[in-house]
Amino acid sequence: MVPLYYYLIFSALLFSVGLAGALTRRNAILVLIGIELMLNAANLNFIAFWRYSPDPEALTGMMFVIFSIAVAAAEAAVGLALIIAIYRHYRTVDLTKVDSLKG
Amino acid sequence: MSGISYSEILKLVAPEMLVSLAALAVLAIDLLVMREAPQRYRFWTGAAFAGLGCGLAIAWLLAMNPPPHSMSAGLSLLQGTYADDVLVRLVKVALLVMTLFTLAISMESNFTDHIGEYLALILLATVGMMFLVSSENLLMVFISLELTSLSLYILTAFNKRNVESAEAALKYFLFGGMSAAFTLFGLSLVYGLAGSIQFSEIYSKLHAAKIDTLLLAAIVMTVIGFGFKIAAVPFHLWAPDAYQGAPTPSAAFIASGSKVASFFIFAKLMMQAFAGAEGNGAWRHFTPGWLPVVATVAACSMLLGNLAAIVQGNVKRLLAYSAIAHAGYALLGLLSNSQQGMSSLIYYIVTYGLTVLGAFGVVAIVEERTGDASISSFAGLGRRQPLLGLCMMVFMLSLAGIPPLAGFFGKFYLFTAAIGAGKDMGMLWLVIFAIAMSAVSLYYYLQVLKQIYVVPAVEDSRPIVVPVSSRIILSLLALVVVVLGCAPELLLGRLITAIKLASHQ
Amino acid sequence: MFENLAWLILFLPLLSVAAITLFTRSKPRASAQISIFAVIAAFVLSLIVFVFFRGSETNSLPQASVPWLWVGDFKADIGLRLDALSLGMMLIVTGVGSLIHIYSWGYMKDDPGFARYFASLSLFTFSMLGIVMADNFLMMFIFWELVGISSYLLIGFWYEKASAADACKKAFLTNRIGDFGFLLGILMVWAVLGSLNFQDLEIRLVPHMKDYAPVATAAGLLIFCGAMGKSAQFPLHVWLPDAMEGPTPVSALIHAATMVAAGVYMLCRVFFLLNVPGSHALEVIAWIGGFTALLAALIAVQQNDIKRILAYSTLSQLGYMVMSVGMSGPTAAMYHLTTHAFFKALLFLGAGSVIYAMHHEQNIWRMGALKKKAPATYWTFMVGTLALSGVWPLSGFYSKDSILAQALETNHIALFVLGVFVALLTTFYMFRLVFVVFFGGARSEAADHAHESPDVMTWPLRILAVMSIIGGVMGIEGLYTKQFAPNAEGHAAGFGQQLLAPFSHSPLAAYLGLFAVIMGLGAAYALYSRSLFDPLPEKLGWLSRAMRNRFYFDELYERVIIPFTQEALAKFANAIDRWIISGFMVRGASGTTDLVGRALRLLQTGSLQTYAFLLVAGVALVLYLVLLR
Repeated sequence: MVPLYYYLIFSALLFSVGLAGALTRRNAILVLIGIELMLNAANLNFIAFWRYSPDPEALTGMMFVIFSIAVAAAEAAVGLALIIAIYRHYRTVDLTKVDSLKG
Repeated sequence: MSGISYSEILKLVAPEMLVSLAALAVLAIDLLVMREAPQRYRFWTGAAFAGLGCGLAIAWLLAMNPPPHSMSAGLSLLQGTYADDVLVRLVKVALLVMTLFTLAISMESNFTDHIGEYLALILLATVGMMFLVSSENLLMVFISLELTSLSLYILTAFNKRNVESAEAALKYFLFGGMSAAFTLFGLSLVYGLAGSIQFSEIYSKLHAAKIDTLLLAAIVMTVIGFGFKIAAVPFHLWAPDAYQGAPTPSAAFIASGSKVASFFIFAKLMMQAFAGAEGNGAWRHFTPGWLPVVATVAACSMLLGNLAAIVQGNVKRLLAYSAIAHAGYALLGLLSNSQQGMSSLIYYIVTYGLTVLGAFGVVAIVEERTGDASISSFAGLGRRQPLLGLCMMVFMLSLAGIPPLAGFFGKFYLFTAAIGAGKDMGMLWLVIFAIAMSAVSLYYYLQVLKQIYVVPAVEDSRPIVVPVSSRIILSLLALVVVVLGCAPELLLGRLITAIKLASHQ
Repeated sequence: MFENLAWLILFLPLLSVAAITLFTRSKPRASAQISIFAVIAAFVLSLIVFVFFRGSETNSLPQASVPWLWVGDFKADIGLRLDALSLGMMLIVTGVGSLIHIYSWGYMKDDPGFARYFASLSLFTFSMLGIVMADNFLMMFIFWELVGISSYLLIGFWYEKASAADACKKAFLTNRIGDFGFLLGILMVWAVLGSLNFQDLEIRLVPHMKDYAPVATAAGLLIFCGAMGKSAQFPLHVWLPDAMEGPTPVSALIHAATMVAAGVYMLCRVFFLLNVPGSHALEVIAWIGGFTALLAALIAVQQNDIKRILAYSTLSQLGYMVMSVGMSGPTAAMYHLTTHAFFKALLFLGAGSVIYAMHHEQNIWRMGALKKKAPATYWTFMVGTLALSGVWPLSGFYSKDSILAQALETNHIALFVLGVFVALLTTFYMFRLVFVVFFGGARSEAADHAHESPDVMTWPLRILAVMSIIGGVMGIEGLYTKQFAPNAEGHAAGFGQQLLAPFSHSPLAAYLGLFAVIMGLGAAYALYSRSLFDPLPEKLGWLSRAMRNRFYFDELYERVIIPFTQEALAKFANAIDRWIISGFMVRGASGTTDLVGRALRLLQTGSLQTYAFLLVAGVALVLYLVLLR
């Protein structure tokens, strides 16, 4: 069986990739995708910890992941709606152009 | 887990159910019946139903005291997904009262045609906060946190005619999403380390274990999500933009209710689940744990919030920076890590919430009449509308911590809690810092008051007409601020008793 | 029963505020009557309680307290403490207050804000009584701040005047700096001794001496910070002279007789916390007091505005009192505080009468020959001047003498010499004022047409003049001795003996004090008895310029210490800001708060990418702090 820390390292990498995407991408949708990647990295952690826990019968990690996937979907829906609202006003989804509030 | 029937669970969550039902009712009535009615009429009807729901929930919470299970003081079922005790009920009542005031100050605004949706979202956010304060389980914390946040993102974007509203919401959302991702990652690590997501079990697993790097990383990442909700430095960057861009009632709600709930659960998580991993936050004696993390965050918040507020020209933005500073003060209560600390934290943040609701209420009216919320549009308010000026003075002085207003007592009590905490006044450095910073803060609050009372109105110096309902609401809030300052016992006494009871379970 | 009476004394002025704001705002005369009635009633009641207290053989009447907040270890009451110290102060506040209320009826007659004025005055009386009667630190602090607010309202009473608006802001902010220390000191005392009640603290101090001694100096100095703000001690003295922008009766009540004395009163109230073996707090307090006394007296010599001269004189006398506390002489300090309340209120009201007679002219070099025009004002002002200078047998002589004697007794020779020199300066600047204003020829049109003030203004002057004369032989010192040294034998015997007591008790102090008066009077006579302009600037050159410009303290403050409080300096900061942005970003970090604020503002770029980046940087920093260190 693959040792636990393989999964952990993989999820950490996935999280970093997502974070890097969120930090560097100018397109709001791509930033959103980056955030989704970060969330999925956390989900992977939950699954791995659950699978390797002394008591996998308890289903805790599994349950957490199912809920968090649902939450992520809701978040994506809200996020896309907001991006559309921005697009209506600015005619762009480039985040560097959306900076009228500052100081 | 066994032995509790569904009917009993329903009875327990009745307040939340009532508020959710009210949300659905408001939505249905507005869409089905009131579609053609004039806007003002729709707002009044919707708010009446929403208020009814909140009122019933409050009545239920108060009438059902003590909890049905009088054997123990509190109750926690289904692995802590729903905890109920006197303290939680008290906080919920405070949340509902703030929701009521938020509804009240939105009534005169005309930034949207989607009144049913707007009111329903406020109520849904409230439901999220109510579940948040009664969770003792990481999953429940995460879900209710997200329910609250998602509703608030939409509330921020509600002024569709205004570019700034959309921009504020997008920033709020992306920043919040990122913080949520960090927090979820942190929570997954906690789950991995403790093997459980229930507060009490996390505690029993972790308090004996050595504090290792992974646990610290988990704690820091968890803190991020809460730091975001309470707008503490360095997780505060969304706050000024969101407050300024959001419709004023939404901003008021973000600053009051959402803060109370987040602070409460943050404190509960740290003090209950991570008890044993505190470390030490005394000056030059930092040892790893959550105390030094929170201490650093608190010091940064006070510093940045107060200094940046000095140079602001927009009152909503100024209130945002002041909110950051106040988050810093309130964290002192968490740092005390004691029952007194908890009571001082809740007292402070509740009175702060009420004060800031009042301040935003005044801003909403001024913004409506003069077109913007810059400091100079408050010029001559003292003469144009004396009552409004007086209320704003009470709110500003309370925020600045001038006795005998609630803000003063809250700060004083926080400071006594913090100074008495730990060995050898370990938190003294932060208390000194906090007092110095609150002296600085007086300056920018006085700037606002100076505009109101000293500077004459520029062009338009006609009296501002304010509807009677708004006057009553603002006077009521000002009165509450004064009364809670003169007789803090009213709230604090209950809090102390509740905390004592809750800790005996 | 007397405890309940005390509650009534405290709340009468508050009731008057409520009545005026709620019902009679638009009826100026009724408002004034309510306010005057409240303060006089409070005075009469205080007198009754006081007589009862003198009759009883106790050191303090039973405390009347209502539990306010009792949570865990934290107990705070609303309680009144009635002993010699507080009762004496209550009599001053309500007694002098009554006279000033009555005087204001005449002085403020035509002001549109008549009702508002009396409401603020009553609010002030209420808060001041609160400080005096408080039996614990928390309550005292709350009223302390309330006094600050009501004084803010009164200084800025004519808020249409830009200078008044600035002055009240300055007073408020300067006081906040002091209160910052005060609050910290209170918290420290609470943390160590676990109580806020004065009586409890006194009892707990003995068994906890081991814990308290190490922090005694720090705690004492922090508490002193509060007194420094309220009693305008160096370096927080800058607000008091500017506070003269308020109406003159306000200056008399707040900035001469009562509020500024609150700091001294507070130091005496908590004297037991300062007077701890191993603590150096008292030493510092004495020197700051002495320095303030000297500095202010020097400045007063070259001022030309009648109210400013009196303001600096007040500063200097407050310095005396603080110095006396620092030399372990709270009795002498309170004694001087009491007599000073009489004659300084008298002088301010007299100055008000002069200003009223001159149609709001305040420059003394435009006055002259008022002796004949306003005889009642002249005579009473003269009495005040003599008392302030310390001429035997007026009250000022006795109280000043007891401070000087205290200095000798505790071997503070340097401070003693300083005290005598300040007494000389005091006589000098006061007689300079008297000669220029009341003697010589009229120097302006207005002085020619000056007229005496109405009776409602001159009668309070006469009463205060009588008090200033007999204040030294009324047994005030004995009253406070009973408080601070209950075991000492009372040396207040017969009237004649009392009259001459200083000469037998500490002859050196008494004779040197009188000698200083004569020197000062002689110098003032030689220079000013007939002059049309001020001859001193020529003789002193740059020194005079420095004195006239108040040793440039205000400038120092405005440029260096609290720049961000001044509108004009915001522009200055703005200029630097631009300079920084154009290339010197890093070096600017050493700038003022304002600059830091502006710099922090740059972080808030408005771009979400920056925010996200800063967030991650912040997280990394926090992680670094907790993990790798």
